[in-house]
Amino acid sequence: MRHKKHGRYLIASTLLLMAAAIFSLLWGQYHIGMETFFEYLNYKLFATSVIDQGTLALIDNIILEIRLPRVLLAILIGAALSTSGAVFQAMFVNPLVSPGILGVLAGASFGAACGMLISEHWIIVQILAFIFGFISVGFAVLIGSMVTSSRSTVMLVLGGVISGSLFTSLLSIIKYVADPYSTLPAIVYWLMGSLSMANLNEVFLVAIPISISIAGMIFMSKYFDLMSLGDEEAKALGVNVKFIRIIAIVLATLASSLSVVMAGIIGWVGLIIPHIIRMAVGPSHRLLIPLSAIAGGAFLLLADAVSRLALSVEIPIGILTSLIGIPIFIIVLKNARAAWN
Amino acid sequence: MELKPIIEVKDLHFSYKKHQVLAGVDLELYRGEVVSLLGPNGCGKSTLIKLILKLLHGEGEIKIASKEIEKYSHKDIASHVAYIPQYNNTPFNYTVLEMVVMGRVAKLDFFALPSASDYEMANIALKKIDIEHLSNRAFGQLSGGQKQMVLLARAIAQEVNVFIMDEPVAGLDYGNQIRLLELINELSAQGYTFLKTTHYPDHALLVSSRVVVMNGGKIIAEGTPYEVITSKMIESVYDIKADIITHDAHKRCVPIFKK
Repeated sequence: MRHKKHGRYLIASTLLLMAAAIFSLLWGQYHIGMETFFEYLNYKLFATSVIDQGTLALIDNIILEIRLPRVLLAILIGAALSTSGAVFQAMFVNPLVSPGILGVLAGASFGAACGMLISEHWIIVQILAFIFGFISVGFAVLIGSMVTSSRSTVMLVLGGVISGSLFTSLLSIIKYVADPYSTLPAIVYWLMGSLSMANLNEVFLVAIPISISIAGMIFMSKYFDLMSLGDEEAKALGVNVKFIRIIAIVLATLASSLSVVMAGIIGWVGLIIPHIIRMAVGPSHRLLIPLSAIAGGAFLLLADAVSRLALSVEIPIGILTSLIGIPIFIIVLKNARAAWN
Repeated sequence: MELKPIIEVKDLHFSYKKHQVLAGVDLELYRGEVVSLLGPNGCGKSTLIKLILKLLHGEGEIKIASKEIEKYSHKDIASHVAYIPQYNNTPFNYTVLEMVVMGRVAKLDFFALPSASDYEMANIALKKIDIEHLSNRAFGQLSGGQKQMVLLARAIAQEVNVFIMDEPVAGLDYGNQIRLLELINELSAQGYTFLKTTHYPDHALLVSSRVVVMNGGKIIAEGTPYEVITSKMIESVYDIKADIITHDAHKRCVPIFKK
């Protein structure tokens, strides 16, 4: 019965995600009607259509070149940030942490900016983003554990704040030395968070490691329940705590660092989506992780749609997720506090 | 046929930084026993338990089912021994059933998820100690006594016969303390083996087949509860006076105020 209930949640959320994806594909400065979209699908699948070739070519261009990469990237990044947030919260037994709060996004953005400065190879940018993302988590944990030997929710958050500030300062140095006419504006705009630079090839390249990370986190989800009870209890229940923690942190850091490489710093998603899902279906990670992935994708898709459509100019999505995330988190904090104590 | 201990500890030493916590402890636990570890704060009871569970590493020999624990993974240990810690709140409020199903994880392959039969085992465990009505309740919202019972159900779902409990009645009100002791008694009658730490000589008198008294990192007395728990032992270990009286054919420990 429980499995059926889980299945229903997953199917319903996947349908919602698909609806959000279709909405994002159709809506924009050039609006594509449902009827036209079905005709386009008919043409792509069966090579028959009543629409003229010129319109089909235009729709083909809009969907494949502009909107599809953006939709796929939004789903990937939303899923990556949300699952990473849920996993970090379980690994550190701390509902207040996320890739942003632990400093991963700041560390990864510093690494990616270094990569952009020293190399034109995308893979170098990705590797440096991951390395510095990982260093920033390690630094946050180190600071948290230096001050107190016991596990402290607040100290880890403060460790993350310090780590994030350090890498933000280092990033400022990169900005300072970057070419003010080309590299600097590119870095600044990229850091605000945007999905507009996506093309299908780049999306597919980053989709592989992000999807592997998310799949890995979903497969390991049963251990996260036990790990969130604390190390001693998890070990006594048969978990290889050190191994699971290292793999989980590597996967979560990889997914969130790659999101930074592709779209800059998109904050709050990794914090609020796991909380909203937890409030809706409970804390069991076997459902929380896959549902966070789906809901995170849908949330970022909708946020991206708003960022494109709300004003005549596109609002950077990172700014928008912060504006949406802060009030949601205040509500979540109020409701969830009782369960944390 | 010689009876082999399920847990064997020989000449165990453990130090935390420069402070010696255990100084040569020998202990054996046999199937069907209820052993109470008694002693003042800091005498090394909890440390001994954690060393047996491989949660800490000391010097000396510890064997579970005749095999050194160094050769076991945590998963192997969890398939021999269940640990019931003092209840603590997790920031994530799992349901009782989810908490009990966690006891099944050591039985699963790396990528396998708990199946319908694992949930069935969890339900059987809840039924066994009469708390199936709590199944869908949030663990964090239960009373201390109910939480401790849920952790016992989780240990039963783990399908092992040896339960190690760290101060099981700590923080419980008087009624829940006694109910939990009754439950330990019932489970012991069904064949489960218990090694538990306690601060209460009275509880050790009520529910133990053997009492081990520790002080200063050493075992200073060992035997049946009636042999070991005496006025003299209470005075030497806790530095207070107490009478051991007989009530309804059972011995009880009654502390005496100085004035």
